[in-house]
Amino acid sequence: MTEPRRLATRPRRRIVRRGAGATAVHRLRWLLGVYLLIAAIVVAQLVRVQVVDAPGYADLSASQRARVIELAGERGRIYDRDGDVLATTVQAATVYADPRAFRSRETPDGRTVPPAADAAAVAAQLAPLLERDASELEELLTGDNHFAYLARQIDHEVGVTIRELGLEGIGVIAEPERTYPAEGLAGQVVGFTGIDGEGLQGLEARYDDLLLGRPGMLTLERAPGGLDIASGTRELIPSEPGTDLVLTLDREVQHAAERAAAEVTAAHGAAGASVLVLEVGTGDILAMASAPTFDPNERGDADPETWRNRAVTDVFEPGSTQKALTIAAAIEEGLVDEDEVLRVPTGITVADKTFTDATPQPTSDWSVSEIMERSSNVGTIAIAQELGAERLDTYLRSFGEGSSTGTGFPGESTGLLSPVDQWWSTSLPTIAIGQGVAVSLLQLANSYATLGNDGVAVAPRIVRGTVGDDGRLTPSADPAERRVVSADTAQQVQRMLERVVSGESGTGSLAAVDGYRVAGKTGTARKPSADSRGYAGEYIATFVGFAPAEDPQLVVAVMVDEPGPVYYGGLVAAPVFSEVMGTALASRRVLPQDPGTSLEDAIAAAAAARAEAEVAPAAAAVPSPAER
Amino acid sequence: MSAVAPPRRTPRVATPLRRDTDRPQLRVVQPARPVHTLLYALATIVVLAGAIFGTVTLNALAAAHAVEARELEARVVEGERVYAQRLADVAALEDPARIRDAAMELGLVPAGPSRHLALTRALPADGAVTETLPGDSADPLKPVLSADR
Repeated sequence: MTEPRRLATRPRRRIVRRGAGATAVHRLRWLLGVYLLIAAIVVAQLVRVQVVDAPGYADLSASQRARVIELAGERGRIYDRDGDVLATTVQAATVYADPRAFRSRETPDGRTVPPAADAAAVAAQLAPLLERDASELEELLTGDNHFAYLARQIDHEVGVTIRELGLEGIGVIAEPERTYPAEGLAGQVVGFTGIDGEGLQGLEARYDDLLLGRPGMLTLERAPGGLDIASGTRELIPSEPGTDLVLTLDREVQHAAERAAAEVTAAHGAAGASVLVLEVGTGDILAMASAPTFDPNERGDADPETWRNRAVTDVFEPGSTQKALTIAAAIEEGLVDEDEVLRVPTGITVADKTFTDATPQPTSDWSVSEIMERSSNVGTIAIAQELGAERLDTYLRSFGEGSSTGTGFPGESTGLLSPVDQWWSTSLPTIAIGQGVAVSLLQLANSYATLGNDGVAVAPRIVRGTVGDDGRLTPSADPAERRVVSADTAQQVQRMLERVVSGESGTGSLAAVDGYRVAGKTGTARKPSADSRGYAGEYIATFVGFAPAEDPQLVVAVMVDEPGPVYYGGLVAAPVFSEVMGTALASRRVLPQDPGTSLEDAIAAAAAARAEAEVAPAAAAVPSPAER
Repeated sequence: MSAVAPPRRTPRVATPLRRDTDRPQLRVVQPARPVHTLLYALATIVVLAGAIFGTVTLNALAAAHAVEARELEARVVEGERVYAQRLADVAALEDPARIRDAAMELGLVPAGPSRHLALTRALPADGAVTETLPGDSADPLKPVLSADR
């Protein structure tokens, strides 16, 4: 039997004295066990870190390394109909401060750390650059906060200069700034944005969703010191610029309208004036101006009352301009025609109220054309009585009174035209001559555009289209059209309105435009009292018409608010119409009926004008009504 | 006594003795070339060094290109900024009110009612053939009304 078998059969263990080699093996086994235990712990930790808690650590790591920069989406531009910029965005600089850099602080171990920079010295350096008082800046720098704007949206070059100064605690960031390059041209139409780029007024507010770009995002990796890792991960989600808006406005015509509105306001001491130019066939608004106006770049200095686009937000009694609509309705109903002669008495009494003409006339036999030419209240009321309240109301509403024009302009008024069942006994005669009813200047212009368009109403529009990323113009939907009166009726009214300007007894002779046949109607209405029933002592002077009369292309409507001492539409508003219509016709390249002037005559006329200007330079600066 | 029968022994078949003629031809085998450890080590070092050099070089190139790309992007951004600013500047310079004021300062006067001229002959734009026009130097209308404008 061998020795191992013998040992195995022994009943009790026998202590065997190991040799040195066996002890070493034994210890090594223990060491291996401990090592394996430690290895197991390490592996377990690895599994925990790399598998179980991996997403959390990955996020933590990313947040430490990643630098996310939001890329602002550039706001869309606003152009006029020819692509001239009315509103755009430029890069400006915003300067901020970290006031912690300008105050001493204590470390956790109780040591006092002095300020990193001297607030007074930094304020003195920045004051001339930011054009602010040094004491104001110092107050901001020593504030009890962690962040303070020192100046927002200043010139980019100024920002670069400040950045190059390397001032401790002062930072400069790029910030988009909305700017209106033409110093307020069409400011009331375009509107403005807030300092953070949100649309607040006008079309900027109306089309804010369209103009706003979509912000992008740039993710970079940075080293602990804050430096970007050039070869690190770089993820770019580009920003999307906003859609550009192309308006129907014509910059040249808009300027002429604004200038004319400002001049007539100043010349007649008026509270304000509005001028609107409309293209007949398309409904395009070529100009929409009101005085007093404001510059959106300096809106903080302007009276908020001037921000309104009063051509669409404010309403007024149309006065005699309403007579064309009343007579058109009567012609359409077959009650009269332009040549029909009516006996017009001195006055006409309705519900114990007697109406006369502005200048009472003896009883006369006038044709309907003469009634229009002379702007006879009595004749128009007589025609309206034949028409009746129901039909008058229907036609006036069909011409657009009492309802929105559909431009969607913020704050657009629908005007005031009471339902016919709420009319007073005197409503029929007053509404027929433009009292007791209120319209916006756009509604008035659009009703005359309907007459000029042979009786077809075209919804006015201010937006011609949009320009997307591809740079192509996407035209707006064609405006809605509807027939209001027949072409024959409209043409009869056109001829009658031409007599208002060119006829011997016409009230609108000052509206004539050299070389063109013009049709239009004057209006003079008393303003309703603001604090009581009835009328105040102020007037509204209006003129609305179209040219060329033989093929109407453009409508110009003028409203002057509270002119004085002269307040008649034919004297106050008609010259403005003439000036603006002349400019608009030339700008739209509408040929005159008789171009006439030869080059030699034009050169001679220019020489004469220059000589006259040299004699009286002051007179040349502001053209007289005769020159217009 | 076991119930299992012991395996039966099979008689060993006597193999015939090999003869010397059956033995394969023996030949002298050249000893394997001695492995030069140093060479392997050098080769490994070279490969590793090359790999490291390549990696570092590529990384450096990537970093350099990234810096260059960033500079280009910065130039693009600056170019876009300048373009937007120029666009605004041009629009401001084209402002009709500014042009009017500048014209007045230069001594120009507001245009009269004659905004259209009756020309005594047709221009190319109106369908006239070039031959009917005199030369450029002789045409007094050329600077103002040329179809080339």
